[in-house]
Amino acid sequence: MENNVKFQVRDLDLYYGDFQALKKINMDIMKNQITAFIGPSGCGKSTFLKTINRMNDLIEGVRIDGTIHMDGVNIYKDIDVINLRSRVGMVFQQPNPFPMSIYDNVAYGPRIHGIKKKSQLDEIVEKSLRQAAIWEEVKDKLKKNAQAVSGGQQQRICIARTLAVGPEVILMDEPTSALDPISTLKIEDLAEELKDKYTIIIVTHNMQQASRISDKTAFFLHGEVVEYGETSQIFNNPKEQKTEDYITGRFG
Amino acid sequence: MKIENNQSRIIKDTIGKILLYLASALSVMTLVVIIGFVFVKGLPGINIDFLTRQWQAKTTFINVELKNTEDTNLSDSYIASLGAHVEQNEDGYIAVTKLEKDSVLKDSKNLKGAAYEVKVDDVITKVLATDTKNITLEELNKQFNDAAMNGETLKLKVTRPGGGIKPMVVSTLYIILLSLAIAAPIGILSALFLTEYAKRGKILVVIQFAIQMLAGIPSIIYGLFGMLVFVQMLKMQYSILAGALTLSILLLPTIISTTSEALKAIPKGYRESSLGLGATKLQTNFKIVLPNALPGILVAIILSIGRIVGESAALIWTAGTIAQIPSSLTGNTASAATLTTKLYQLLKEEGDVASACSIAVVIIVLIWVLNLLSKWITRRFTVKN
Amino acid sequence: MKTTKIREKIIETLFLICALISVISVVAIIAFVFSKGLKPFFGENAYSFTDFITGVHWNPENNQYGVFYMIAGSVFATAGAILVGVPIGLLTAVFIAEVAPKSIVNIIKPAIELLAGIPSVIYGAFGMGIILPIIQKISPQPQGQSLLAVICVLTIMILPTIITLSESALRAVPNSYSEASLGLGASKMQTIFCSVVPAAKSGILSATVLGIGRAIGETMAVMMIAGNAIGGIPTSIWDKVRPLTVNISMEMGYASGRHQEMLFATGVVLFVFIMFVNITVMRITRKAGEKN
Repeated sequence: MENNVKFQVRDLDLYYGDFQALKKINMDIMKNQITAFIGPSGCGKSTFLKTINRMNDLIEGVRIDGTIHMDGVNIYKDIDVINLRSRVGMVFQQPNPFPMSIYDNVAYGPRIHGIKKKSQLDEIVEKSLRQAAIWEEVKDKLKKNAQAVSGGQQQRICIARTLAVGPEVILMDEPTSALDPISTLKIEDLAEELKDKYTIIIVTHNMQQASRISDKTAFFLHGEVVEYGETSQIFNNPKEQKTEDYITGRFG
Repeated sequence: MKIENNQSRIIKDTIGKILLYLASALSVMTLVVIIGFVFVKGLPGINIDFLTRQWQAKTTFINVELKNTEDTNLSDSYIASLGAHVEQNEDGYIAVTKLEKDSVLKDSKNLKGAAYEVKVDDVITKVLATDTKNITLEELNKQFNDAAMNGETLKLKVTRPGGGIKPMVVSTLYIILLSLAIAAPIGILSALFLTEYAKRGKILVVIQFAIQMLAGIPSIIYGLFGMLVFVQMLKMQYSILAGALTLSILLLPTIISTTSEALKAIPKGYRESSLGLGATKLQTNFKIVLPNALPGILVAIILSIGRIVGESAALIWTAGTIAQIPSSLTGNTASAATLTTKLYQLLKEEGDVASACSIAVVIIVLIWVLNLLSKWITRRFTVKN
Repeated sequence: MKTTKIREKIIETLFLICALISVISVVAIIAFVFSKGLKPFFGENAYSFTDFITGVHWNPENNQYGVFYMIAGSVFATAGAILVGVPIGLLTAVFIAEVAPKSIVNIIKPAIELLAGIPSVIYGAFGMGIILPIIQKISPQPQGQSLLAVICVLTIMILPTIITLSESALRAVPNSYSEASLGLGASKMQTIFCSVVPAAKSGILSATVLGIGRAIGETMAVMMIAGNAIGGIPTSIWDKVRPLTVNISMEMGYASGRHQEMLFATGVVLFVFIMFVNITVMRITRKAGEKN
């Protein structure tokens, strides 16, 4: 059991200046599972997601106490942030392809990590696009600007772009909130396929989505984890009153 | 993916960073060197006289009716019959340092009989035929007193010293006022038309195209045009009006685009609520839209002033380079050098780098103040909204 | 009620007339400069246009008016300034927009703005006082006035344009691009040069083209340091040059008749270049506008 833990979070506090956004987070996140973070806006779920690949480093005035270990290594101490981010990829809320061709978007990561050979890049691009379940749709227009395709396709291109770096973990920050229902379903299917190979953490507003695809769910409120457990248990038999109130739609 | 090329990445990053710092340092350095050069060469020449005096020394012969006076205050430096305090200047001539209220020098006349008021700082270089160089004050006093006893009228040669930039400062001011008087209303109303009235269509496209074209035309072409049309065809000769008209065209794009930006930034709700209260479009424009765009319009005007102060190629061949305070809008007496055109002329024609740099110091300080002013206005009024 | 309507209409027309003044001005400038500038090539005793555009000697006394070497001078000088100025300016813009802490930005930006406001004659003074003596020392030719001097001064003069416009282009790049890039494990420098700068490329391009416009149209500063050769295509950076603008302003004060018309003809050539630059800028900005 111990071996299946990807992330070990202990007593994590996060402050934006004087404001404490995360309070004493303790959590074990499992390998090759989908973990969903739910909770109302401003509860800290996105903030927490960003601490996992240290995107919060970019914001001025952020202070973090406590530890996060990935495979037993302290990610705030013993690992280079660039190395961390190439192992822990991220998919953002708004599809954010670069204004370049689909091919160049996916090849961006491998290129900055030093892969120059065309044949090798071709292979990575195709593999990543296939994994992101979009190869068939775009294989004839790889040279087309990535911003010229639909939002759902853009988001899958962004996922492919993340996969191309060869991460172990994929963080998804409300990846479907800007998409239509059909695109949303495609992304959800994709997430389920990907979990065999990757550890996936997804932040979502959409409780059906969390219940549909995740193995474990954490409910955040006011910067604290109210409840964390098997998804079925959280949704069917929550231990905490607050969790029940939230998932039955009494607030949030 | 394994990061095998960490080493080379770090090297590349470091090189990138060094390049960034180098380039920025270079950019700032050029400014420092330019300002340094101008100030080192130019600052020594700047003093009150430089800022307030005429450019060229001017010599006038005057007749003075001496006052027969019993004033016993015969200190060395006071000539009672003139009512003037004097001293010997560096060249050995007699400079007026102070004039009494009833000094006869104040209502002296030149040889044509017109009134000529002698002022402090003027130098008396000759009394009748006597050169005053190195004359002692005692001798001088005696000469005046003797003449005064006989109730004579004395002919004096008076030189008003030059070496100052007053005429250029005044001319620059005239040209600024004239150009803005022409260009500001046209530019502001154009902007109003473009943002509030014009419908998408051919006219709008043509006007915007024209404005972009105007913005791209180099000043020397404006100079060519101004010389051909205003100076020669309309017979204005080198004059401040010809210069100002040329500059007005050159300023239009700046004024129009800056004002348009300001107008576009005004929330739609302002207009709608004004119109909703039954105001006409015109009333809305003048009571709501323009007043709210005032900071932007001010910035447009300040930018224009900066442009006028710095302009040379469009002015040399339209307003001329004579260092005088123009006394009319067109014709012979209207030719005027601004600070910048004079600076050019000093450098190119006279090779006088020191004086040129002194003027440059004045210009740079002016530009700097204008920059601060426009920033202050922008900051002050954007924070408020 | 009706009178107000009429009044509104009249005033609107007045506004329209004001807005049309810009159009009238452009048309007038083009009409006058072109009609005067093209006159020597038509009618009796016409000067051969081919001789004018391909000639490499300017000698009004001998009725010799060739501007090709001036075109070459203008093009070389502008190209040189762009080649040196754009990289420096772009890097400075990147520094200001992406790297520098706020306190340093607060120093550099006003400095750049001041640099932008300094009149060109002062750049000329600087060129005469500092750059010419230095070049004179290292140049194989006796004089300091040279293509190199012109390139140096023009580089400095286009820097503010390049820096300010590139900076705003860089700042307009959505944060999400750099987030995505950093999220893929790119370093800050990689993010800047591989994702932010390419995304700002149309803005940077139009900054460059505007820089070209400024460099090619610059007159007074260049006139003091170009050497103003009377003929010959420059073959090295130490050679004297005579850009188009300089030719006009050097002789405008005393030229008359055919000579004056030829100066206007030089203006026409300059104008054609500028028009080309202007239209390119408009194309770029329109394209960028369509994309968004």
